[in-house]
Amino acid sequence: MASPDAKDIESLVELFNRSDWDEMHLKTDDLEIFLSNDPNAPGPSRNVAGPAAPTVTAEVRSAAQAELASATDTSASVESPIPDGLVAVRAPNLGTFYRAPKPGAPAYVEIGQAVQADTEVCLIEVMKLFTPVRAGVAGVVREIRIQDGQMVEFGQLLVVVEPAG
Amino acid sequence: MPLKRVLIANRGEIAVRIIRAAHALGIETVQVVSDADRDSMAAEIADRTVVIGPAQSRLSYLNPKLLLHAALQTQCDALHPGYGFLSERAELGTLCIEHGVTFVGPTPETIDALGDKLRARAIAEEAGVPLVPGTDSIANVERAKQAAEEIGFPVVMKASAGGGGRGMFIARTFEDLVESFDKASAEALEAFGDGTLYMERFVGNARHVEVQVLGDGTGRVIHFGERDCSTQRRYQKVVEEAPCAIMPDDVRKKLHAAAVNLLAKLNYRNAGTVEFLYDVDSQDYFFIEVNTRIQVEHPVSEQITGADLVQLQFKVAGGEAVDFDQAHVNINRHAIECRINAEDAANNFMPSPGRIRAWHPPTGAGVRIDSHCRDGYLVPPYYDSMIGKLIVTANDRDGAVERMIVALDSFQIDGITTNLPLLRHIMKHPDFKANRISTRWLEQQVLADFQN
Repeated sequence: MASPDAKDIESLVELFNRSDWDEMHLKTDDLEIFLSNDPNAPGPSRNVAGPAAPTVTAEVRSAAQAELASATDTSASVESPIPDGLVAVRAPNLGTFYRAPKPGAPAYVEIGQAVQADTEVCLIEVMKLFTPVRAGVAGVVREIRIQDGQMVEFGQLLVVVEPAG
Repeated sequence: MPLKRVLIANRGEIAVRIIRAAHALGIETVQVVSDADRDSMAAEIADRTVVIGPAQSRLSYLNPKLLLHAALQTQCDALHPGYGFLSERAELGTLCIEHGVTFVGPTPETIDALGDKLRARAIAEEAGVPLVPGTDSIANVERAKQAAEEIGFPVVMKASAGGGGRGMFIARTFEDLVESFDKASAEALEAFGDGTLYMERFVGNARHVEVQVLGDGTGRVIHFGERDCSTQRRYQKVVEEAPCAIMPDDVRKKLHAAAVNLLAKLNYRNAGTVEFLYDVDSQDYFFIEVNTRIQVEHPVSEQITGADLVQLQFKVAGGEAVDFDQAHVNINRHAIECRINAEDAANNFMPSPGRIRAWHPPTGAGVRIDSHCRDGYLVPPYYDSMIGKLIVTANDRDGAVERMIVALDSFQIDGITTNLPLLRHIMKHPDFKANRISTRWLEQQVLADFQN
C-alpha cells in the first residue's frame, strides 16, 4: 500500500474524531500514526500529532479522594500499554469482572490458551445480570489484566489477545 | 442518619451543583459518567468518578442497574438523580430501597401517584385544588351547549384521541359551537380514527406559575414562594422568574396554601414543584401537575429566599431535622433566570454542539452562573443542549431585568452558536419589560419577529 499523504492523515483524524473509538493505531512501511483520546496514552509514537487532546484530568487528589479511592480497589485511570500487534478486549460497560461462569468452576480462559473470535473470555455482572465478553479475534490469550471479582469501568482493558497468523 | 457518600446519577450543570451542595455538607461524592463525559467538570470535582458506559444515554445515564451497581461497588449510601434522565422513575427509587441506598427524592409510591396524570388530578381534586374545568366526552352539539353553560365561555374543544391541534377549536359563543362542532369531530375522526371530543375552559391570557415546596416526609411541608415560567417555546421554559410579579397578594397566599396542602396530605418528602395555569383575567389558578424532582429553575427560588434547595434535599433524604421553616421565607427580592442553550434560534433552534473556544460569563453583584462549561469544553452532541443558566437578583423586577440585560450583553461564548441573541431580544422587548406576557407570547409575538 502506498504511504498516506497529508490529506489521508487529515481524513483519518477526522474519522477518529467523529468515532467513539478510544485509540487508533496505523502502521505502514515508513509511517506510524497513533491517535488517542487519552492524554496519558503511552502511544508508540508520541511525536506524531494526535487530535486536540481533551483537557487532562487532574491527577492531584485530595485526602478525601485518596481515602475514597483506596476504599474501593480499582485502578482504571492508569493502564500500562499492550505490546505491538496485540489486541485488547475491553469492558462493554461498568460491572464486576468474573473469570469463571460460577464460583469454583474452571476459568473461561487461561493465559496461553487459543481462542476463536466468539470464545467467551470472561463475564461482566451488573446487578446479577451476567453478560459474557467474547475475544473478538482468533488467537492466543497473552494477558488477563483484572482480578476476579473486581469492578471494571466502561472501556477498561480486560484481556490481551495475540491474533493468529 | 446523615448521608456519607452520594452517587450523582446525572451530568452537566446539575451534577456540578449537586457535588458542591454535597461537599458543603461534608458528604463524599462519586460521579458516574458516560464515555463522552470523562473530562467533564463534574468528573474532575467529584471525589471519585466511574465511567459506566458509552456516550448514548440509554447505555449509561438511563440504565438504573448500572447506576445501582456503581453505587454499591463504591459504597455509596445515597443516590441523587438530579433532573431529567431517571429522576422521576419509581423504578430507580425502588432499586435503591431494595439495596439499602437512600434515594434523594420521594418514595416510589409518591412518584407513581403523582407521575400518573389522572391519579395526580384526583389527588389534587381531593385536596381541594382547582382543576381546569372540563368534561368527559361530549356526544353532540346539544350536550356541548349544556356543558359550555356550566363551564362558562370561552371554551376549547379537543379531540380525546390525540393532540397537535387537530379536532380542536375555541368557542366564545353558542354560535361558535354550532358552527365548528361537527367539522372538528370529522377532523378528529380522520386524524385519529376517533371523533370523540371533550371540552375545557379556555384560558386566553395564561401564565405558567409554579410553587416550590419542600417536604420532610412526616407531613411537614414548607414553600419557597412561586415562580413565573411563562416564557416558553414548545412547552420548554426559556426564562423563569420569581416571584410572579403580576399576582395579587391574596391570590398568591391561596396558591401557596394549595400547593402545601396537596403535598402535606401525601407526607411528601423531597423538594417538589406544584405547577399551575394562572388565568390573569379571572385570577383563577388551575392545577397542572407535580414535579417530584429538583427543577432546572430552582435557583430563582433560592435567590429570593436564601435557601439552598439541594442541600435541603440531602437533609430530608437523610432524615435530618430541617433548620429552615416557613417563618424564614421572606420574599422581598426578584430573580430572573435565562437558560443558555447551544442552539441556533435563527435556524429553527438547531442544536449546535462543538468546542467552546472562549467562555467569558458575566460577574458582579446579583449575578449567578450555574454551568459546567469553560474554555475548551466540548459540548457533546448526545445530550440536552442546555449549557448553563444565568441568574440575576435585584430589589425588584425592573432592576432584575436591567441587570439581566447588562449580564447578557457582556456574556461572551465563542466557538459554538448559542441562544444568547434571542435571550437579549426577549429581555429588551417592551412586553417583557412591562410584564405583559403569556405562555403563548414567545411563540406568537416574538419568534417570527426575531427570526426575520
